[in-house]
Amino acid sequence: MSATGTTEFQPKDYKSDLKPIWCPGCGDFSVVQAIYRALAAIGRPPHEIAFVSGIGCSSRIPGYTTAYGFNSVHGRSLPIAQGIKLANPDLLVLAAGGDGDGFSIGGGHLPHMVRRNMDIAYIVMDNQIYGLTKGQLSPTSQKGRLTCTSRHGSLEAPVNPLLYMLAYGAGFVAQACPTDLAGMAAIIEAAIRYPGFAFVNIQSPCVTYGEEGQQLKALKAVSESLESLGHNPADRLAAMDLAQDYGSKLHLGVFYRNPEPPPTYGDLVKERQELLAKDAIPKERILDLFIKK
Amino acid sequence: MAMQGIDLARQTLLDALDLAILVEEEAQERYEEFAEQMDQYRNAEAGRFFRYMVENEAKHGEELSSRRAERFGNAPRKVTRAMIFDIEAPDYDAARGFMTPRQAMEAALASELKARNFFEAALPSIQDAEVRALFQELRDEEIQHQTMVQAELAKLPADEPFSAEDFADGPAPQ
Amino acid sequence: MTDYSPGSRGIGQGAPTRRDLVFGMAGSGGDGIVSAGDSLLQAAAAEGYHGVMTKSFGSQIRGGESSCRVRISTEPILNPGGNLDVAVALNWEDFLKFGAELPVSGTTVVIYEAATNIEPDNIPLVGITPRQVIAVPIARMAKDTAGTERAKNTVVLGLIAGWFGIGAVAVMKGIRKKLAKKGDELVEANQRAFDAGRAFALDNPLTVSMAIVPSETKGAVKLITDGNDMCAAAAIFAGCQFFGGYPITPSTEIMQFFTDRVWGYGGAVLQAEDEIAGIGAAIGASFAGKKSMTATSGPGLSLKTEMMGLASIAELPLVIVDVQRGGPSTGLPTKSEQSDLFAAVFSAHGDVIRPVLAPTSVADTFRITVEAFNIAEFYQTPVIVLSDQEISQRKETLDPIDTSQFTIIDRLVPSGPDLKDYKRFKQTENHISPISFPGLAGGTYLASGIEHTENGAPTNSGTVHSRMNEKRIRKLDSLKDRKDLFEVLGNPNAPLAMVAWGSVAGVCREALNMALNDGLNVKLMVPYLLYPVAEGAYRDFFSSVRKGLIIEQTHLAQFHKLLRMHLDLPAGVRSLARSGANPFLPGEIVAALHHLLSELQRRHEGKLQPQE
Repeated sequence: MSATGTTEFQPKDYKSDLKPIWCPGCGDFSVVQAIYRALAAIGRPPHEIAFVSGIGCSSRIPGYTTAYGFNSVHGRSLPIAQGIKLANPDLLVLAAGGDGDGFSIGGGHLPHMVRRNMDIAYIVMDNQIYGLTKGQLSPTSQKGRLTCTSRHGSLEAPVNPLLYMLAYGAGFVAQACPTDLAGMAAIIEAAIRYPGFAFVNIQSPCVTYGEEGQQLKALKAVSESLESLGHNPADRLAAMDLAQDYGSKLHLGVFYRNPEPPPTYGDLVKERQELLAKDAIPKERILDLFIKK
Repeated sequence: MAMQGIDLARQTLLDALDLAILVEEEAQERYEEFAEQMDQYRNAEAGRFFRYMVENEAKHGEELSSRRAERFGNAPRKVTRAMIFDIEAPDYDAARGFMTPRQAMEAALASELKARNFFEAALPSIQDAEVRALFQELRDEEIQHQTMVQAELAKLPADEPFSAEDFADGPAPQ
Repeated sequence: MTDYSPGSRGIGQGAPTRRDLVFGMAGSGGDGIVSAGDSLLQAAAAEGYHGVMTKSFGSQIRGGESSCRVRISTEPILNPGGNLDVAVALNWEDFLKFGAELPVSGTTVVIYEAATNIEPDNIPLVGITPRQVIAVPIARMAKDTAGTERAKNTVVLGLIAGWFGIGAVAVMKGIRKKLAKKGDELVEANQRAFDAGRAFALDNPLTVSMAIVPSETKGAVKLITDGNDMCAAAAIFAGCQFFGGYPITPSTEIMQFFTDRVWGYGGAVLQAEDEIAGIGAAIGASFAGKKSMTATSGPGLSLKTEMMGLASIAELPLVIVDVQRGGPSTGLPTKSEQSDLFAAVFSAHGDVIRPVLAPTSVADTFRITVEAFNIAEFYQTPVIVLSDQEISQRKETLDPIDTSQFTIIDRLVPSGPDLKDYKRFKQTENHISPISFPGLAGGTYLASGIEHTENGAPTNSGTVHSRMNEKRIRKLDSLKDRKDLFEVLGNPNAPLAMVAWGSVAGVCREALNMALNDGLNVKLMVPYLLYPVAEGAYRDFFSSVRKGLIIEQTHLAQFHKLLRMHLDLPAGVRSLARSGANPFLPGEIVAALHHLLSELQRRHEGKLQPQE
């Protein structure tokens, strides 16, 4: 759990002046609040935080914080975040986006984020629809779902973000929802604190295109905290078992947290940089490399 | 709604007052945010009500602040906003773009009930008599607010026969 | 209490004289102003008028500033028009946000919401005195009659019916139909609101009558649709049986048309995981022998680049629709621009020529899309259709299109002797080889992105490469001779000229008429085929030209540069180019032509007069 009120920063220090374009009632309002709180609890100054996103309603989120934001292109927040982290490992790097941004066009980048294991936290606001472009099918939409590109019903089974990330081998996988605000802030904080790549899937309902059964009221009825189920977050297989309920039950909490986080990619890079630094030829003499021996 | 890092049972009067002030501040900011959201939707009536709530919360907060100043002067504040989460502030989910003034008032009522329950639930465990008195007062204040909002609700003419959806334009793709 | 009953009221307007009216209406999303515009367009069409409607929004998902422009005419409409004849402002803050798109002039009648508490002589329109300014208690009338202020949009429709003579019956007929499922109460409330608006108008006639004359084509069948739906319908007509794509504003509706309908034609559609997968699936379907298509906007075009190159070297037919929006990168998703031209023409590494076509209106989107499929199939190449946000989102009435006038061309499939020792990329006289498909016995071949010999085997020979590049490029030469893909209007030997493509051509057609009316000797060239550049067509056009404008919505003057890459333009031909989201108006183009005229006259003077 978090250390509260012990840093010099308050949640409002992370809030920018830009007015969100989100519809009133959007789940993303709660998510950004939770992010402010998590960042305040961690206490890094806003200018030391880089927040990357893709394209979508939820990808507007960096602009609503006082961090260095990068609202990039659809599905490519993760490669950009990796570049930032490699360039300056001391920064706190966050990535965010929607389910389409992350699991449709961005899907190819996920396993590589996981296997590289850089110290980056990735927050996906999952609402099973493409909101910004006016209500098309998304990769997490249920089969049979009616949307404007599936007026006869979707023919595809949805992806399971939790199961995929667990199967890829992610070291931290959690799910949150505005039905438990403090829990959500705590999970985001834990994800950021986790030394490695951390993934948080947040059920953030769309009030404009979402169905009744997807709104917070309905979600409350099907939500269950993993803690109350006695789940052990060090057990990946148990986590994967619970993850299969994605779509029918809303499990909130940490599915998996590696009890022995391996060195991050950044750790290994640092090691290598230190190792090779001693033998590095001064730049002015770099051409010595080509002297014929 | 939630709280972290505060032991209600053992808190001092200073902390309790500061807590109450922050609860009002949080609610005030939330109503301000709602009012801005209503501006985006040109929803003047709901916006007007939310601004009225902003004033209410501000007034109450000011009143608590002057009591705090009188009693404790410039003593440093140990309680922070990070410790509370939506105690009295209405849920974000309560707002809707085309909400009617009635729905806005119902959102306010729900949040006051939330706050009242919070203070009420804390009462049994509070040890300090002054803190207990404060919490009772705060609880009663919430009940009073509810009555006020209910009075406003009663004054409201019947909701219009048709919803905004019957006339408004649909969403635009971006 | 005001009496809003229709009763019998005198006309009080004078005889109708107008043949063309441009309405501009703005309010917030909650005011339903765009729905009102739509009802107006539908009613106008029902009454036999020609109509065009465009919409514009703020950047909020819903509820923010919204506007629409509806132009109604007794003649076919060339473009949404310039200055407004009628401005309707439900509130001034939102109206002013659309300054460039809803220009008010001295001949505009301004109708605005009285509840804004602004006096008619004090409206916030800078530098202009409109013909007439009327404050109408629209919200109050809505509340009194329908029980809700939200019925403002219906009151506005009533006002328009009363003052301008459009939709007196047709509007409510349309609304009844639209709301049939929502119950009688709502319908009746709308009727009362409409009647109140109309009664107010009849009781307060305009100082100058602006009623529109009855249409002579009432009762004739009219189509109403927008550019995206038209494009998709044309594709299905042309025999397209596969669509692969991804949602992106403003092209998503093309995919939606397919997801609704293509199944019934034995076809399939895939909303893929991303743009690249979308075009990939379309290429696959083409390889399998089906006519196929993808659609996107700027950012998607950039992503599809590699696949486009693959289709070119594999000589696979494919139609790629790019509905342009403001760029670069994410740019301005809801605004029109023409800046994808360079990307459409030059994208993909290597020596590639890819035909690029551009419709100029909703009506010709049908013909151009059908043509795109014909060209793709005949020449076995990807073809880009460069539409834009303006055309794709604009609703137009059209006269029915006789589809029997179109020839549908299918790809050349091998048969008989071809299939003996079949060579997929066999050199032929016109450089086009018969193309087989999986399932055809005897036609097996390897398609690939790697350079290949006549039978498809990979090669890195310079000689073969040179021959194959020549084949792929030369096969398109005959496209440049297609006179039907160019339109020249005005005086054929005029010394003054304009060249414009896409939606800008529509504005220029109107500007041309205005300029000709002013007595200018001017002509307009509208190229539907942008690439390869048909040098001959341009040389013919420019032979008489002394002064001219290449008019486009690109900051880099991309089309001007593209032309200059391929031919020398007369010295007096310049670029008139600017960034998108800054629409051209017919009036400003006419002014620019007048300016050119005076330059021409000055130069002429200089030649004839002796030196001082």
